[in-house]
Parts: sequence; C-alpha cells; structure tokens
Amino acid sequence: MTDTPDQKPENMTPQERERILAAEFSLGLLEGEELLSARGRMTNDPDFAWRRQWWDDWFVPLSDDVRGAEPSSHVWDAISAQLQPQAAPAQADVSNVVLLDMERRVRRWKWTAGAASAAAAVALALFVSTPSAPPISGETPPLMAAAEAPLMASIPVGDTLRLGVTFLPDSDEMLVSAAGFTADGVHDHELWLVPADGSALQSLGVVVPGEERRVTLASEIVSNMGDGVELVLTREPLGGKPEGVDAGPVVAQGAFGAV
Amino acid sequence: MSAPLPTPEKTSSPEAREALRAAMVRLAEGDSAALEEIYSATRVKLFGICYRILGDRKEAEDALQDVYVNLWQRADRYDPQRASPISWLATFARNRAIDRLRTGKVRSGAVPVEEAAPLPDETPLADALLVNAERDAQIHKCLNGLDENAQTYIRAAFFEGRTYAQLAETADVPLGTMKSWIRRGLIKLRACLEASEASDEQKGGAA
Repeated sequence: MTDTPDQKPENMTPQERERILAAEFSLGLLEGEELLSARGRMTNDPDFAWRRQWWDDWFVPLSDDVRGAEPSSHVWDAISAQLQPQAAPAQADVSNVVLLDMERRVRRWKWTAGAASAAAAVALALFVSTPSAPPISGETPPLMAAAEAPLMASIPVGDTLRLGVTFLPDSDEMLVSAAGFTADGVHDHELWLVPADGSALQSLGVVVPGEERRVTLASEIVSNMGDGVELVLTREPLGGKPEGVDAGPVVAQGAFGAV
Repeated sequence: MSAPLPTPEKTSSPEAREALRAAMVRLAEGDSAALEEIYSATRVKLFGICYRILGDRKEAEDALQDVYVNLWQRADRYDPQRASPISWLATFARNRAIDRLRTGKVRSGAVPVEEAAPLPDETPLADALLVNAERDAQIHKCLNGLDENAQTYIRAAFFEGRTYAQLAETADVPLGTMKSWIRRGLIKLRACLEASEASDEQKGGAA
C-alpha cells in the first residue's frame, strides 16, 4: 500500500505537476513569473489553494525544530503604537499609520496637469534632443540602462490582499495581478511609479479587480524602473485620477525588488 | 501598553492552546488587548521563525512587527475550527518572512545551508508551542525516507526560504538537477503523507 514507484519528475502527469507545484509554492522555492502566477491562483483556483494549504499544514510542524528567540522590547512598543482601539479589525482601513507618512510624501509632488502629460513632456524633450531617435514610432530610448532581472513588488492592500506587480525588463512588460480584488462600484485604484529622482509620479494605470493585466510600458516609465523603486496605490473615482485634480488618498505602497 | 511583558510560560499544554485560541477569537471580535496576550505567548516562536529565514535580527524584528500588526488587522480570517492557532500563526509568520525575502532588500540572509542540513537535535525551547506532535512525527518520518539530497534541500527550503536557484548555487549543481532532486522527493513525500492520512482514516482517527 505504501510502496511508491520511484517516479521521475520528468514523467509527471500534469495533475501530478500541479500537486508538486503547490508544494514548491508552500516551501518558497518559486520565483519570478512562476511565483506570481502561483500567488494569483491562490484566489482564482480553490483546488490549488487547497493543495497549498495541505502542504502548509504538513510542513508547519517542522517549525517546532526552529529555535525560539527573544525579540527586543521595542518590537512590542512599535506594534502597540499602531493599535488604534477605536478601529475594529474589520473596518481597519489598511494600515493607516504606516501610510500617513507616505501620503505626506506624495502630497509633496505637484499634481499639476496630471502625470500623463508630464511624462509626455519628458518624452518630447528627449525626442528633440535626440536627433537619431526613430521619428515615426515616437519611441525614445531609455534614459538609463534599465534593470536586467525581473523586478517584483508585492503590495499589501487592505488587510487580506496583495497586489502583485512584476516588471520584465527584456520585454518592457509589466504584469499586474489583482487576483482577489473586487470592485466596489464607486472607486478605482490607480497604481503609480515614484521615480527615484523625485520627478512627478508616473501612472501605471488603473488596477483591474480580479484580473491579471499585462501591459507594455512606455520607455519614459521603463527608464525609471529599478530595484527599490517605490510604487503607490491611490483611491480614485471610477476610471482613475481625473485630469487637473489631486490624486486620491494613498491606500497602499510597496517597492520593486529584484527577483 | 508599554508595561514589561510577562515571560512566556510553558505553552504546549492543551490549556495554553485553548487560551491562545480564545485570544484569537477575541482579537477577531475587535479586542485589541488580546493581541498583547497572543504576542507574549507566541513572540519567541514566531521571532525564531522569522530570524531563521531572514538571518538578520533587524529584518526579523521588522518582519515580526509586520506579522502582529497584520494579525490584528486580519484576525477574523482565522478559523478556530480548522487549524490550531499556533500552526496558523507559524505558517503566517513564515509566509510573511518569505515575502519579505523575495521582495525586499534582504537577499538570502539565512544561515548557510550546511548548518541547516543536520537539524540540531535539541529539544525545542520550553516556551515553544508545539504545533502538533503527531503530525510532527509523521512529517519527520516521511522526510527521513527520502534520498539524502531531497531531504537536505527540502529542509533548507523550509527553514531558510531558499529558492531553487539559490539552492542550486549553494550546492553547485545545475538548476535542473536541483529541481529534479526536490521534485522527486516531493512526489515521494506526498505519497507517504497521503498514506498516513489514509491509515488514520481507517483507524477512525480522522480529524
């Protein structure tokens, strides 16, 4: 009953591959696109989520072998400073305290005629000063060498969700995985890149709830991509930030890291 | 709030588990005072897990803070019927630490893989909540039945949150070889664990 044929991974059926994928995900072996896709499936694919849970439950007793350690007392001080007695967990609107500072930072940027036109101005300036640029496409070469390895950001949103953002430098494509997000019918959420040089935020578009979106980025955005570059998510009216008004409140933030 | 925390007591008892479960339920109902109770009972274990994965005290403390703040925000997700509170918390902490490892500036900070290979055969700290002794014995038994490479690297993945690529680099073998070792091991491991579940059911001991 317990004798197991020494099955070779190469001969796995797709079904077996699936089960093993859930184990790989549980252990943390995956990275890059595989990791992103596995994360997305946690909300889209109940069978996969169940498998992952099955492995988690089996692996977790191993953590009894990890030696415990005493954290410094300031950890509790920091945690308790973030507890707001009035706010019940269900209504806790993201981690407001953490975000306040980010929001203040974002306010410092002038939301003039909108980031799109600011980006267009950058592109135009570059076009003018680069006579060799191909005139027809209007595409400009990146301002600086973009990062080579895929970049990934996992942005915690609210108290349960994560927005997965991956940038693939070899194709200038960005994947935004909003699995598990639902539309409230009143707001949209818009994702922004915070250029490291302090220039105006660049819109990465409105997040489509429940979907994985793949877009090719304009070169003026690509040139700002890099390890550690920050992203913010703002709450906007449906359709995204209207022209000529300030962006809505920052509801989440994260940073790209090399995968 | 900033009063010194009580030293964790020995909490592997059923009473301690029930106390923790009750605190989690109170937290989910919005009682933020329950968090302090949960923190004092579980911080040593969860910090150990974060520290082991991140390999850096400061990072591990940031991760720990993140774990409890998130716990407070999403305690309503914990289903007291389904899992023991400490196993839920341990999984939660490990996942947060791994997320941090994958997306943050921390790069493979964990202790070297050789140190993890033969697990220190020490008794876990007296204040560690034991997750589940029976399942613990079973996963160890099944892991011990695997080829040495599979055992070593599955453990390294679990304890240090290393990816296939990092493990292959450490072991100085091609990525395909590492994947093959581990996948072969996982196939056998699954068969062994499923067999133990099946025999549990036959004994009528299914939970």
